[in-house]
Amino acid sequence: MNITENVQGNVHQVYLEGRFDADTADKVEEFIRKKIKKKISHFVLDMENVSFIASAGLRVVIVLAKELRGEHKGDLYVAALQPSVYRVFEISGLNNVLSIFDDTETATQSFN
Amino acid sequence: MNIRFWGVRGSIASPLTNAELTARIEELLQLGVKSGLTCESQIPSFIKGLPRHIRQIIGGDTSCVEVRAGNKLLILDAGTGIRLLGLDLVRMSMGNPINAHILLTHTHWDHISGLPFFVPAFNPNNKLTIYGASSGLKKRLEGQQAPEYFPVPLLSTFKIVQLNGQDQFQIGDLQIRTFRLNHPGDSYAYRITHGNKTIVYATDSEYKELSVKALKPFTDFFHNADILIYDAQFTLLENIEKEDWGHSNMFYGIDMALQANVKKLIFTHHEPAYDDKKLWEILHLANEYLDICRQPDTHLKIYLAFEGLNMTI
Repeated sequence: MNITENVQGNVHQVYLEGRFDADTADKVEEFIRKKIKKKISHFVLDMENVSFIASAGLRVVIVLAKELRGEHKGDLYVAALQPSVYRVFEISGLNNVLSIFDDTETATQSFN
Repeated sequence: MNIRFWGVRGSIASPLTNAELTARIEELLQLGVKSGLTCESQIPSFIKGLPRHIRQIIGGDTSCVEVRAGNKLLILDAGTGIRLLGLDLVRMSMGNPINAHILLTHTHWDHISGLPFFVPAFNPNNKLTIYGASSGLKKRLEGQQAPEYFPVPLLSTFKIVQLNGQDQFQIGDLQIRTFRLNHPGDSYAYRITHGNKTIVYATDSEYKELSVKALKPFTDFFHNADILIYDAQFTLLENIEKEDWGHSNMFYGIDMALQANVKKLIFTHHEPAYDDKKLWEILHLANEYLDICRQPDTHLKIYLAFEGLNMTI
């Protein structure tokens, strides 16, 4: 899993590349938690280059979004999902509680 | 080895309600009208073609699984499902003594509340042994049948074997191991091996750390099981909402079973608030998830436990 970042205003755009599963979910969680500790609370998770998401990845996304909304008055938006990855969000029901956008730019603008 | 499910609900027994029955009959009749049923002879094939949530009841009794291996009878948990199993054993024994080994995961009500109604215990000729790693097991089981709660004390037919949670023992030619799970007050999984066949019973467990490393002790215990019976009480979302309730979901179960090279994964301990239609829908979605995860060498199959589900390996 490769993780890169771009900052636009108070929104941190986090770009993931690779499989988001039990081997890599920890890395993503750790990356974002380090930012949360620095009082950053608005994230867009760009998954254009994520080919597969497993339950470990789903858990990280939903747990972080829940925590950001509750304790930090922020949120974690999800953007640019490949169709098969989007389908996993649908069949797990997470699409009903997460904000999912077609692209990172739209997601970022939505924060504003 | 043969297994049969007698109780598949978690938390509390949840019989079919009148409202659910009425909704089911309505849906059934609507489908009958749509299919153009005109005579009785069409009924059997019509019934066969009905969706499972109409033609079949998943069941409302709490945890109990019968395991037959060699000439041994094992009973996994003693929830309300053990009541009907007891009656079946008495009928099938035709007066011969019953020798059963009851393995308890823990002593929450949904895993022990059928014990006072287990009819074979009333016959002193029967040999019934209860195993469990919950501390003070005998005292707990006696407490359930204290006069304040039940008129009959725990019967002396039951011999109690206190385990410690990291056990390795034999019942006849069955090899049995225990392993502690993540559940409030602890629950213990059983790995039962007969010859080259293995069943793992791992109910009432929550998994909050899903990395390969964090799950390794569990996937090691599940490794190469022919059947893994797994607690999937909640949807994934509800699992996260109900943190520390000590349960799991089908998605985590699939990922762990794939990691552990399990052959058949059976989901049980169903949430009492979920009706049959919802449970079959969740299984359908879980199958789709499995297809997405599937690799060329994936042979895992998943099942929903229901009362009467019988499987031989």
